[in-house]
Amino acid sequence: MYVYRIMLFLVFGGYLLSPALMSGWAVPGMAWYRPFLIWGGLIALSIWLEQKRKLDEH
Amino acid sequence: MSISLTGLLALTAGYLGLMLLIAGVVERGWLPARVVHHPLVYGLSLGVYVNAWGLFGSVALAAEIGYGYLAYFLGVAGAFLLAPVLLVPILRLTRTYQLASLADLFAFRFRSRWVGTLVTVITLLAVLPLLAQQVQVVGAIAYRLSGVAEPAWLALAFCVLAAVMALRLGARHAHLNADHDSLAVAVATGSLLKLGAMLTLGGIALYGVFTGPADLQQWLDGPGQPLQALAARLPPGQWRTLLLLFFAAAFLAPHMFHMAFARGPSRQALLQAGWQLPLLLLLIALPAPLILWAGQALGTASPKTGLAYLAFTLSDTPGVIALVFVAGLAAAAGTLVVTTLALAGMALNHLVLVAHPPARQGNLYGWLLGLRRLLIIAVILGGWVFYRLVGVHHDPTTLGLVAFIGIAQCLPGMLAVLYWPGANRKGMVSGLLVGSLLWLGGLWLPLIADLPPLVVVPPGLELLENEPAWYAVTLISLAANALTFIGVSLMTRTSDGERAAAEACSIDAVIRPKRLPLSARTAADFKQHLSAALGTDVAAREVDHALDDLGMSPQESRPYALRRLRGRVQANLSGLMGPSVARDIVDRFLPFQNGPQPATDDVHYVESLLEAYRSRLTGLARELDGLRRYHRRTLTQLPVGLCAFGDDGELLMWNEALARLSGIEGDSVIGARRESLPAPWAELLGRTFDHHDRFLYKQAVPLAAGTRYLTLHKADLDVADGERGGTVVLIEDHSDMKWLEDELVHAERLASIGRLAAGVAHEIGNPVTGISSLVQNLRYDTDDPLVLETADQIQQLTERISRIVGSLVSFAHGGRHGGQATGMAPCDVRELADEALHLIQLARSGEDIVYCNDCPAGLTVQGDAQRLVQVLVNLLGNARDASPPGATVVVEAGARDGGVYLAVVDTGGGIDPAIRDHLFEPFTTTKPPGEGTGLGLSLVYSIIRDHRGQVHVESPLPDLDHGTRIALWLPEPHQDGRDTDDPDSDR
Repeated sequence: MYVYRIMLFLVFGGYLLSPALMSGWAVPGMAWYRPFLIWGGLIALSIWLEQKRKLDEH
Repeated sequence: MSISLTGLLALTAGYLGLMLLIAGVVERGWLPARVVHHPLVYGLSLGVYVNAWGLFGSVALAAEIGYGYLAYFLGVAGAFLLAPVLLVPILRLTRTYQLASLADLFAFRFRSRWVGTLVTVITLLAVLPLLAQQVQVVGAIAYRLSGVAEPAWLALAFCVLAAVMALRLGARHAHLNADHDSLAVAVATGSLLKLGAMLTLGGIALYGVFTGPADLQQWLDGPGQPLQALAARLPPGQWRTLLLLFFAAAFLAPHMFHMAFARGPSRQALLQAGWQLPLLLLLIALPAPLILWAGQALGTASPKTGLAYLAFTLSDTPGVIALVFVAGLAAAAGTLVVTTLALAGMALNHLVLVAHPPARQGNLYGWLLGLRRLLIIAVILGGWVFYRLVGVHHDPTTLGLVAFIGIAQCLPGMLAVLYWPGANRKGMVSGLLVGSLLWLGGLWLPLIADLPPLVVVPPGLELLENEPAWYAVTLISLAANALTFIGVSLMTRTSDGERAAAEACSIDAVIRPKRLPLSARTAADFKQHLSAALGTDVAAREVDHALDDLGMSPQESRPYALRRLRGRVQANLSGLMGPSVARDIVDRFLPFQNGPQPATDDVHYVESLLEAYRSRLTGLARELDGLRRYHRRTLTQLPVGLCAFGDDGELLMWNEALARLSGIEGDSVIGARRESLPAPWAELLGRTFDHHDRFLYKQAVPLAAGTRYLTLHKADLDVADGERGGTVVLIEDHSDMKWLEDELVHAERLASIGRLAAGVAHEIGNPVTGISSLVQNLRYDTDDPLVLETADQIQQLTERISRIVGSLVSFAHGGRHGGQATGMAPCDVRELADEALHLIQLARSGEDIVYCNDCPAGLTVQGDAQRLVQVLVNLLGNARDASPPGATVVVEAGARDGGVYLAVVDTGGGIDPAIRDHLFEPFTTTKPPGEGTGLGLSLVYSIIRDHRGQVHVESPLPDLDHGTRIALWLPEPHQDGRDTDDPDSDR
């Protein structure tokens, strides 16, 4: 259960800091896919936590 | 690129045909259940969130606010990333209590039909703009592609399509979730179409228009940069507010709630959807800016031509256009159909049935189904009318925002359901009314009346006056809603029912149901009581359904099981008619009885819940649970039988040792009353409870394995503050100890007999010696042959007495196993029989018995002739006494099994079965008092045992109902001088 706290922390932290992440639309040199990379990283973390939960429960 | 109207209609018909085909395939079971119920299908079905405007409008939003368009996707993705702490608790409630909608959940939690009705009305008002938005987008696309018809009529055609789909996919059965499989597969297919279309467009943009990611990046940093600079940067506050709105929509929007929870998916599926849906949304959202940038690079992107539909300009390939059109159709139809189904269910449960409770219907299921179908058509028609009257005057983004802000008004209530047990219905209704009125007045009514938004800015928040209306109304309405909710809840009293429901809903609380008796005593009573409300057939079906769900027998009568059955019936009725009506019916027709004792916790049920929640416990709770499990294991695996009863006599524990001893599994009796336990336990335990002592010692209990001797100890559990009382009973099986004690008594009795026999032998021996001496003298004193023959016979008899006395002494000194045969020599069996018959015929009684010696001549046996004659005399004497006058007693012999058998057969009355097992014990006799000592057969047994032989008793004789045959078997001595192994008699 404690691992969900990590997810809570990251999601609410991301909620508060997300405007900064969204500000790079027109900034030259910033990779266009950066927001999607962050999003994908969060999904990967969620998959890892899900696997860990499965192991915990067995 | 354009498509003819015929082509559009053909595509629409094809899509409808596909959906109907899916419904048919799933319903007929042609698609394997493992596919239909696969977590991926569930995850894809949640893609219903992406509606038509979400699909196409994202491109326009990307042009206007840059990455701000991602708020629509990230809000929901964030909610699903928090599935373990946010959505799984909701799923637990909806599955346990069969709650199919948000209104069901609120009505259940706040124990108020008014809350359910209010939530239904507000949701209905909120989603009308959303429905209109879907109709508007589809109409606009069709008009844009065909250009030959009015969008309004195309939109009406689309509504007809949605109505057909909704009726086919979601209104075939009265139970809301009965159609869910086909709906889920159909919506999942729609998600795949949306995903396919967006990835195709993204691929065309990235590799068709640009040459790859690097080329795109180069264009963005070069020629495309001025175009990107036109996109406005969404202020942080507005961005966060949008995220919050879409976060709330993940579980508050009726179509999302319906797809996520109404089907009752597994916890595992929901947890997997926690990453599957964010991934699906990522893949659908990613192509939006690519389409925009490709359009900008090609020069086709222009606000005048409508950026939202840029997707249709990216490729001239008919297949791509058709795919994108069908994807848009699937997005709009999915949202419209699922939202309509959810709203129809809510309206039925919380508007229609609350206003007109179901009377005793002949066909309740059909009546409910008919109502749902009417409501489905009404909702879709309402969406079209709203579009025609209001939607056409507003852009889709405005419609969507108004809808999502209205939906978000339930957010404080939902958070309270999960995390605040102190919330009550007054607070909920007050907060919801205040927030909803601010939303209605600020955005919804101005939308209807085509007036400017009316924002009521409270003092101190004047800075919101210059902000967009949607942003200000969202903040003000939600803040007022939450503050009113909290304030009123704190200031008003929460009812007991609400507290109980709050415990059931609270994320960390374990449900603690009370152990109350029901007026219905059996499952059959349930049917009878419920038939007054539902009709006989429906009541029987619902009770049978609930019994089937719980795996219980129709003959079930345990109070624990009946309480579970009541809960399941209520939950199933809730799925049929909503929680308010279901609760009313169950409370009225299956009431609890208020007994003299206060209700106590249902310990067994709480334990079963704790077992189920084990993986959710952390820290100290997990440690305590580990300790609880250890103590429970100690009790259940105790090698001594143990059972525990509550204060009301309900069985709470029946451990494994007791299950083995009794042959009754704990699961089949736990929850039963003590007096309803199977025989002989009800009587035995009742005797233990009523006994003034704390134990009952060695009670003979007839069990399947035979009579067992059980010792029962009881202890009353002292009741301290808040603790549970009851009685615990320990049951020890003392059968083995009882057998050992009996053996000890038997041995002691034999020892006493031995001592007695030694004394008797000593007292008899002396006079017999005297008689023998006198007979010797007599032989010298006379020559009379008759007297001499008599003297010889007296001499023989005194010698026999001496040998008997010697045997008694040997028996007394050597015990049962100590005697050894002496004077062993080959003896002729026929001669032994003749001698015995001669002696027995000297007796005065039995002159009318015919004796027959059938022993073959020449048959010999190794043994002590005198002692064997004694055996035969004893057996013949018993046979004579048992035989009626004129009967025949036969002595027969022969060789058998490496030895010699010798049998005495009579045709008397036989041996009483009651004493047969004790036949060879001393003093066992069937003769009248004074006529038998009971030592004869005991001596027979002792002598034959000394000869290492066996005694076999057969009574009655085969083919007769009387007669006795006592057969002796004596072994042949081995050549090496060893006798056979220690034999045992067939006693």
